[in-house]
Order: sequence, then C-alpha cells, then structure tokens
Amino acid sequence: MPILVLLLIPLVASAASLLLRNLRRMEAAYLVSAAGSFAAAVWLAAQVLAKGVVEWAGGFFYADHLSALVALLTAFVYLAAAPYAVGYFRRDVEQEVFGNGQTGAKLRKYYALTPLFAFSMLLVAVSNNLGVLWIAVESTTLASIFLVTFYGRRTSLEAAWKYAILGGVGLSMALFGTVLTYYTAHQVLGGESLSVLNWSVLAGSAAHFDPTVMRLSFILVLLGFGTKAGLAPMHTWKPDAYSEAPAPVAALMATAVVNCALYALARFYVLTERCVGPAFVSQLLIIFGLLSIGIAVPFILIQRSYRRLLAYSSIDHGGIMALSLGFGGALGALGMLLHMTFHSVTKPLLFFCAGNAQQHTGNDALKKGPGGLLHSLPVSAPMFLLAALAVTGTPPFSMFQSEFTVLRAGFAAQRTAAVALFVAFVIAIFCGFFYHIANLVLGPPADLPRGEFSRWKTYPVIGLSLIVVVLGFWLPAPVYALVDGAARILAVQP
Amino acid sequence: MLFWQDPQFGEKLITMLAALVLVLQILMVAQRWLITNIRAFGVQSFLLAAIAATIAYFNHAPHVYVVAALTLIFKAILLPLALERLVAKIEIRQEIEPLVNVPISVIFSGLLALLAYVVAESFHRPDEAGLGHNTLAVAIALFLIGFFMMVNRRKALTQVLALLCLENGLFLAAISLTYGMPLIIEAGIFFDVLVATLLLAILIYRIRETFDSMDVSRLSRLKG
Repeated sequence: MPILVLLLIPLVASAASLLLRNLRRMEAAYLVSAAGSFAAAVWLAAQVLAKGVVEWAGGFFYADHLSALVALLTAFVYLAAAPYAVGYFRRDVEQEVFGNGQTGAKLRKYYALTPLFAFSMLLVAVSNNLGVLWIAVESTTLASIFLVTFYGRRTSLEAAWKYAILGGVGLSMALFGTVLTYYTAHQVLGGESLSVLNWSVLAGSAAHFDPTVMRLSFILVLLGFGTKAGLAPMHTWKPDAYSEAPAPVAALMATAVVNCALYALARFYVLTERCVGPAFVSQLLIIFGLLSIGIAVPFILIQRSYRRLLAYSSIDHGGIMALSLGFGGALGALGMLLHMTFHSVTKPLLFFCAGNAQQHTGNDALKKGPGGLLHSLPVSAPMFLLAALAVTGTPPFSMFQSEFTVLRAGFAAQRTAAVALFVAFVIAIFCGFFYHIANLVLGPPADLPRGEFSRWKTYPVIGLSLIVVVLGFWLPAPVYALVDGAARILAVQP
Repeated sequence: MLFWQDPQFGEKLITMLAALVLVLQILMVAQRWLITNIRAFGVQSFLLAAIAATIAYFNHAPHVYVVAALTLIFKAILLPLALERLVAKIEIRQEIEPLVNVPISVIFSGLLALLAYVVAESFHRPDEAGLGHNTLAVAIALFLIGFFMMVNRRKALTQVLALLCLENGLFLAAISLTYGMPLIIEAGIFFDVLVATLLLAILIYRIRETFDSMDVSRLSRLKG
C-alpha cells in the first residue's frame, strides 16, 4: 500500500502539471507532490522497520531496508529541491532568461518532467523484478534528457547528447547483464513465470547459478550501471550534464540518480557474490572505485567552473561508495550506505549554494569570476563554505564518520594499498576543493548588489545546513536502524 | 514427420536467418549511404521478427509471437520510416563519413564476429537441447559491431542507428538464450527503446537547428 502511494503521487503531479494553466498552481502541485512523496517514503520506511519486508502486487514490488533507505533518500532530495526550484525559476523569470512567450512552456516542462524523474527513481528502489529495475533506470535517463537541455544553449545540447548516448550504450550493457542473469536463473529455477526475475527469488538460489555466466553478467552490469552512477572511466558525461542542467535538477542527478544506479549495482553484487564468492566482485569494485576517486583529483585541482567542480566531487563520492562496497564485510556495506545517506544530504546543499551564486553573479567561473561572495550573498556564501567543508569529509561533519568507516572496512579487509591511495586522494581533493570554494567565497568584494533573491532560495539552504550540522553529532535512531538493516542485506554470508 | 514440424529444420532455419542478420550488420558497416543503412536496419529487424516467430512455432511458446509482432511493427516498419522522415526533414548530406575507412572497418567487424564466437563457445553445452551457440554468437557479434559503429561514426543519426543495432543484438541474445524475457518485461524494454529513439530524434533535430550540422565532433565545447 505505501508502495502504491509512493509511486502514484509523483505520477499524478506530473499529469497535473500538464493540465494546469496557471504557473502558481503548477508550483503548488509540485510542492505538494514533493511533500507527499517524502511522507509516503517515511511511511514505507516505518513499515519496513516494523515488518522487515513490504510487498505489493504479489511480490512484483518489494521493499526491504535497502529499498526503503534509497526511496527515503530520493524523496528527501526531491523534497529539498522543490521549494528551491520554485525560487530558482522565479528568479529566472524575473531575469527574463527564457525570452518572450517561452516562460510558460519552459516551466511546464520542468514541473511535468521532474516528478516523472522522481517517479522513475522511486520505481528503481521498489521494483523487485530485475527487468523492471532496468526499465526504471533507463526511464530516469529518458525523463531527464530534456531537463539537461532546459536552457537550450549550444552547450546544453552537447551535454544532453553525451548524456543520452553514453547512458544508452551503458544501459544496453546492463540489459545484457540482466539477460544473462535471467538465462542462468532460468536454467536453475525453470518456468516461464515473471518471478524468475524477482530479486527476492534469485537471492535465495544464487548459489546454484552458473559462475561463468554470473561473472560475465556482473562485468556488464558494473559497466552499465557504473555508467549511470558515473564511475570512471564512464564518467565523462557527468560534468557536462551537471553544469548545464538547472541547479535543482543537478542536485537530484548528483545524489538520487547515483544512489539508484549504485543500488541496482548492489542488487547484482549480492547475487554474484553468493554465486562466485566475494573475491571477484570485490576486486572489480575496488578498481573502479579507486579509479573514480583518483580521476577526480586532477580535475578538481585545476577546475575553472564550480558547477563542474561539484560534478567531479560527485564522481569522487560515487567512487568512495563503490570502493566501500568492494571492501566488503559488514563494515564495507555500512560505510557505503552511511556515505550514501550523508552525501544525499550534503550534496544538494552544495548545488543550491552554487545555484544561488551562479544566478547572482551570472556565471560559474572559479578563477576569472568575481570572488568575495561573502559580501554580496550573506546566507548562501557562508553556507557554501560550510557545505564544502562537510562534503570533503572534514570533522566533525558526518561524512568524516562515513569515510572513516570506509577506512576501517579497508583495514579489516587487509587492503592496505587501496586504503593508502584512498586517503591520499581524499586529502588532495580536500585541498583542491576547499581552495577553490574559499577563493570564491572569501576574497575582496566585487561590485555586486548585496542581498539574497528570496526566501524560497535561502530557506532550503538554511534548512539543509542545519541538518548537515546536526547529522555530524546525532544520527536519528530509526535512520540508523534502516542503514544497519540495509547493510546486513549487502553483507550477508550465506 | 513433415519437415515443418521437425525441430531440426527449425534450428537450421534459425541459424540461416541469424547468418543473414550478421551479413546485414556487416553491410551496414560497409556501405556509406544513410538511407540504405536505415533500410538495412529495417530488414535486419524484420529477420529478427522472423527468428522470434520461428522460435515461437517450434517451441510452442505463444508469448514469443507477441514479441515477434512488436518487433515487426515497431522496429521493422515504424522506426525506419520515422528515421527516413527525419533524414528528409533535416536535409543532411546522405553520406556517412566513418573515422576508419571502409575496408579496414569490414575486416575489423569480421574480427569482432570471430571474437563473438569465442565468447559464445563458453556458453555451449553439448548435452543441452537449445538453439545452439550460433545464434548467441551472432547476437554477441551484433553487440560488438554496434559498439564499433558507435565510435566509428561522427553523425548523430548514425550513432542512433548504432545504438539500435546494439539493441537488436541484445534482443537476439535474449531470444536465443531464454526464448525472450517474460512478456511484460520485453514490452517494457520495447517501450523504453522507442521513447529513447524518439527523444534522440528530437535532440538531433534541435542540434541540427542550433549547430547547422549533425557532426557530433563539433559538440566539443565542454571540457575538463
């Protein structure tokens, strides 16, 4: 039941935006859908915590702790981005970004596609069937292509093209992997029924699958969903798409989409690990994880645009999650999911601050652009600095704790070399990231008007900052229970 | 037993059709006219539909008929028509300019097909009655050659064609390994592929309008 509500709310909101004529009503429908989705996700999480597993439609939809956690994080980012987006686009309208007569159509596109985007991500989290899982991941790409081209610039078209083609190729590999898993499951379980593709069914009998097929399947799925998550070397679409999409969309893509792709990967990880043992999957995940973290380092150090800086930071964090899963064991899974949770709270804050700064100064340049944002943006600028500290894993912020857990998982798995590289990369990224943002925020005042645009854009920033600070000291018990339960699913030894 | 009830005959028929599919794929690599490429894709999809129907007939799997019909209607007829209309509408040059010249491309495609046979061999079990590994080898070859086409071509539309060929390879793999995914999943995948092609077509149209070109190597302003 909560699953049905969770999926219906954004769908209805998307349809409503197509029908509504009035811009204010579209905004209202969007805000209500965001609040409703979050409430439904909380409801789902509460049911999962109480009962363990929630099923609907004969097991076709299925939510355990892992699904509930991913759904909750997706709905949270969707909720946080909603009021921000309203303010963000009001500012665009005021600046007459869209040209004459285009405003209504443009904003309708946003208010219709974004709920659809959220819907497909929520579907990823609650679908039990691996085929539906693939369809849902593909739909996240389809729903967001035209959000990337939102501003219709030449560069937006370029970004959208790379995004669509790389995403398409990547996901075709993931589909091949899914077909192979179905093939070997089919041999063991038999039958033509839909349930042969259900993860809950597959997980029980994965030990009997053909190891050769499962290895090949996992490689394809890793490349496929890895493309979607932006793991190196398939990450090249990411900086382009993140810097061209409107800030609230970029925030959704940088957190919720990464979570969904890694979630899909984690489901296959469990199947493959049970079939061929942990060594093979761990090795692959560690290589791809470290490569992603490592590749972010030079690009963060020499970066010229802060939107792209955030994209590389997101590649880095996707890599950290993959690495943690690769370290394996109870700690590795816990580290990955804690990091996913904290990242989903911190990264939107960064994107919102970056969006405010970009709208205020008119560009997103780091070196040539005006510094001294502190003098013109009294709320967003200091929070930008705070978020930069939080996202690079500075104590006492929560991401320090999760990165520390990853570290412990690495030592527990006796991967000392990988841990050493990881620490070196993270320190380099901290230096580069903090240097750039500090230059942007501190520095001498530029002659820009002082003042934030509206409460719609500052309150989400203040709210998220409060949550980021509080999470550094206190993680609510139910959330931890959810993370812990999800980690057990990923770390089970059969 | 009459020959049209003999599974041996079915297997031979399928192998022959699969071979034709592979020939068409290499033809697409070899020739340079965009319209011919689109039509070759249409014929290839038609052959895939025929393979699906043959499998449905000899294995008494009625749901595969539905898949065959979907393939026939959408991939063999509607998609090629839509792509041809797009070509007519945006008035692009009709010639494809591959990065690697045609003879070398064809030789490379042949090598990829060979590689596909090696990979497919590892799936082969002599004791098991199935479609044989020939079909799977062709499927993997389509997949690999599709990849090669993707990186070898600069025009946006030809990249979409390459993506569709990848997708055809997947379809053949699914149908030769397991007689297709469950129907509802297959339908969902179909829907996704259609929507993706449609969106890419719109994107091509807009790129063409903005850049006055379809050459994706011009999409190179975003760096670092």
